[in-house]
Amino acid sequence: MACKQWNRLDADKTANQGSYENPRDLTSNLYNRIRFVEKADGGGMKWLFLNERCVHCGDAGCMKVCPSPGALYRTKEGFVAFDKEKCIACKYCVSACPFNVPRYGADEKVAKCNLCADRIDAGMMPACAKACPTQTLQYGPRGAMIARAKASKRAIYGEADLSGLGVLYLLDDKPEVYGLPDGPSIPASIFLWKDVVKPLGILGFWGSIAAVLFHYVTTGPKRLEEDAPEKGGIRHE
Amino acid sequence: MSKYVERFNTPERVLHWFVTVTFFTQLLSGLGLYSRLFVGYQDFFGGGQGAILVHKIAGILFLASSLLLFLNHRREISAMDDDDRRWLSKMGGYLSREPFQENNGKFNAGQKLFGIFMGMATLVLGVTGIVIWIPLSFPRVVVQLSLLVHGLIFVLFIMVVIVHIYLATIGNPGTLDGMLWGRVTRLWARKHHGKWFREITGQEKAG
Repeated sequence: MACKQWNRLDADKTANQGSYENPRDLTSNLYNRIRFVEKADGGGMKWLFLNERCVHCGDAGCMKVCPSPGALYRTKEGFVAFDKEKCIACKYCVSACPFNVPRYGADEKVAKCNLCADRIDAGMMPACAKACPTQTLQYGPRGAMIARAKASKRAIYGEADLSGLGVLYLLDDKPEVYGLPDGPSIPASIFLWKDVVKPLGILGFWGSIAAVLFHYVTTGPKRLEEDAPEKGGIRHE
Repeated sequence: MSKYVERFNTPERVLHWFVTVTFFTQLLSGLGLYSRLFVGYQDFFGGGQGAILVHKIAGILFLASSLLLFLNHRREISAMDDDDRRWLSKMGGYLSREPFQENNGKFNAGQKLFGIFMGMATLVLGVTGIVIWIPLSFPRVVVQLSLLVHGLIFVLFIMVVIVHIYLATIGNPGTLDGMLWGRVTRLWARKHHGKWFREITGQEKAG
């Protein structure tokens, strides 16, 4: 609610799907939600909760593929924010995100958690952390948050993944149980596209130009004059 | 007897240059999506969203026209004979200044391979392009692969086009006339495509 209020996001109509978990997925109007994981525990069951949202990767797939400068940008605090005015609606970020976070709404512009970049600019903490009554969500300098997390002796998720996530999780079970990738990485085909094909392509373009020019000045063109008509150029083998 | 023979008729030439124009439109509108290095090219289309719109429209025109060009010539380029194999083993004679006695039909082996590549590459660019157009309708892994393949085939395409332009212009003087004016000299036809020249002129032997 605090997130929706601050970021002026409309409510989505949801349907009861037989679970307390509601809404069931991020939308362009929903930058963060609580994922409910029901896990059998002996005779009963236990609930695991995860705050699903953009985790602000240090090495961000969305920023790697975004073709529009400034549409996705890193704030001075290190978070990945967005500027809808500059988004050109290519949706590449949707495919490149290791956590499947960016959403597009009716406005055809990227939408995701920007950690309330405007609040942080004004010296406030993100709306979610401010509103959280149990301090499950905490906001602070990354080093201090890691130190506090280590003191709790629980498993930290995201300390070094993707050059360090801007959102760290303390987990009570394996990441996969929460639906988080164990050792998240930028999808392989996205890496090949941007870090292999793209630079090699520029090399291939200039290489081809160089090759034909080299051919022209060394071997040279197939000239017609040297093969006068009366000699008869064609022979059967 | 005319000094010239017809190489490509008017509909063939118009289709070729239509494909050319749509291809370069695709190149200019797509470069900024390929890399931020080329984001300036999007200004031709009024910015990124304009470039994407043009890329989609010209993409449909390119897909349709390039496939049509391929289908029109599919029979001429789909089989290789012994002369073609000899052409390939000598790399068309392009690797040395030694005169190479070639005996090609309407298209030599290199042109056949070029035509097949263009047809296949057009199809792959078109299919992956549609996936990238409506990414939310496909599984993420399909879109990710499409982005990779679209970029990879584009790179190969542009390299092949550079060689195509070279061989059809300064690399083989007299060739461009066939695609601009439609006619080539008898000398050119006999030297480059002897088998074809004899077919269309009804001559068994050149000379």
